[in-house]
Amino acid sequence: MAQLRIAFFDFASCEGCQIEFTNYGDVATLQLLEHVEIVEFREAMTETTDGRIDVAFVEGSFTREADRARLQEIRARARTVVAYGACACTGGINALKNHQDDFAEYVYGDAARMPHLRSGTARPISAAIKVDYEVRGCPMSKDELLLVLSNLIHGTEHWVPTYPVCVECKRRETICRYDEGDHCMGQVARAGCGAPCPADGVPCEACRGFVEDANLNALERVLVDRGGLSQRRAVGKSRMFTANPRS
Amino acid sequence: MRTLFLGAREFAPFVDLLIGSTRVIGPVAKRQKFVFAELESSGDLRLDYDVTILPPKKVFFPPVQPLVCFDAASVRDCIDPVPTVLLGVHPYDVKGIDMTDLLFRERHADWNYLGQREATTIVASGVQSVAPRAFWASIGTEIAPVGHDAFLTAIDGGYVFEPRTPKGVALARHGAFREATPEEIAAAERANAEAAERCSRALPYTSAEIAERVRAAFRDEAMWDALALDCFSCGSCNTVCPTCYCFDVRDTWNLDQTSGTRSRYWDACLTREFASVTMAGGEKENFREHHQSRFRHRFMRKAAYLNEKLGGPACTGCGRCAAACTADIADPVRVITTIMEATA
Repeated sequence: MAQLRIAFFDFASCEGCQIEFTNYGDVATLQLLEHVEIVEFREAMTETTDGRIDVAFVEGSFTREADRARLQEIRARARTVVAYGACACTGGINALKNHQDDFAEYVYGDAARMPHLRSGTARPISAAIKVDYEVRGCPMSKDELLLVLSNLIHGTEHWVPTYPVCVECKRRETICRYDEGDHCMGQVARAGCGAPCPADGVPCEACRGFVEDANLNALERVLVDRGGLSQRRAVGKSRMFTANPRS
Repeated sequence: MRTLFLGAREFAPFVDLLIGSTRVIGPVAKRQKFVFAELESSGDLRLDYDVTILPPKKVFFPPVQPLVCFDAASVRDCIDPVPTVLLGVHPYDVKGIDMTDLLFRERHADWNYLGQREATTIVASGVQSVAPRAFWASIGTEIAPVGHDAFLTAIDGGYVFEPRTPKGVALARHGAFREATPEEIAAAERANAEAAERCSRALPYTSAEIAERVRAAFRDEAMWDALALDCFSCGSCNTVCPTCYCFDVRDTWNLDQTSGTRSRYWDACLTREFASVTMAGGEKENFREHHQSRFRHRFMRKAAYLNEKLGGPACTGCGRCAAACTADIADPVRVITTIMEATA
């Protein structure tokens, strides 16, 4: 099997998903390096490439017109583009600003007018270029990234769960957050992460986005009636990682 | 087979001796809930549990079960049954296991399930605490719990132990059992009858009545729309059900990219993709596209369709689905009562 040339690129993001790649550990990474050649990855190496790429992992959301040209340039030389992490897949948490005007002042105070802070609507990278695969999550799921890579290496069909997080909580017998007097959005959140947050006692924030046909009316009712949230907070809560799908 | 008695003080040594000789799985506490888990000592065992998060079906049919391991040169079966005593199974779960036994054994016998099932000795136990959503005393009453090897009931001063099979008789070798007196046997019967009386939620209809009326309600779209209005399609009702047995099979590669595993995963017919199939031209077709039709399908399966195979409803009255549903719409007592009253 020929090695796949892979590269990482980042847009508006914290770059945590790229850091997550380095968390496989040395043994696993070295095994993987028998099958892939990393040609650009600024979190871990200084070399860059302007040549052909088999798989481009693109992190971050598309927030400036200048991003469009750079995304198109990556697309033009990549055989496969993978949107990598919540920001690239849906706009992620960056898309919260799409719903307010004063975010720059709120975050940066007096420095809010610095020119490099000027940016537009936060959108998924699919708003600029064709995306072949998505690895969702904040941070992205390492297991799922490996599955994408495996399927690309072997030419096998890629599958990720389309069902909600509740399925994964139940499979591992996690006590439901609602039974602990808490709230949760696992009923409408895409699974595939293995439901680590509720298992650690933290509600699901739907960082992988909503499932198709998410029943948001029922979600708001349950967040209020059983989760004890105010109506306003219930709506705001469900917008955290899904500001674009809910706009 | 003779009914035996074990004094309260002799019970812990019996369980510990059993743990020393084989793998023992029983109900243990998980914060304020309970789960079936391997016992490390008799102190872990909580026979006063009300219901576990997942039914004991998971011992034979795990939520994720590796079936086959492969590498570049070979493929091998990774089903490896472990001799096990499954201790403290409530009668409603004994019925659930009996149903999955039949469903996995019929036609093409599924040894991925039956392997561990046949390596397991089941000790049932009387219900001491009734779960708030349970209704097992009134559903499928024409079907007696069978398939267990012994039945254990706590009474004042100890435990009445009724072996049902030679495997059950053999277990008694691990403890200081003696023959039970008629008074002790009567006390056990009383304890189990009293537990059934404490099961306050009920479906006061025969299984045949329920099956007929649920089936007849199939075309009442407005009723199903109303019943399923708040359904999340989250599959929780399926995933905690003792009689659900659908699964999906998938392959994963190991990091070395030359070896991997084929595993099966519990599937759930309430989830959207369950009934999505690929057609000849590559297009997808979902034959239960709307959550109302998936919600209805579950009740058809549990209350009507499977009766033909099982002789009664594919519901044990454990109440797990009712408790797991965050929108609180999955409760069979509520849904079936609505249907019975609407069509009365």
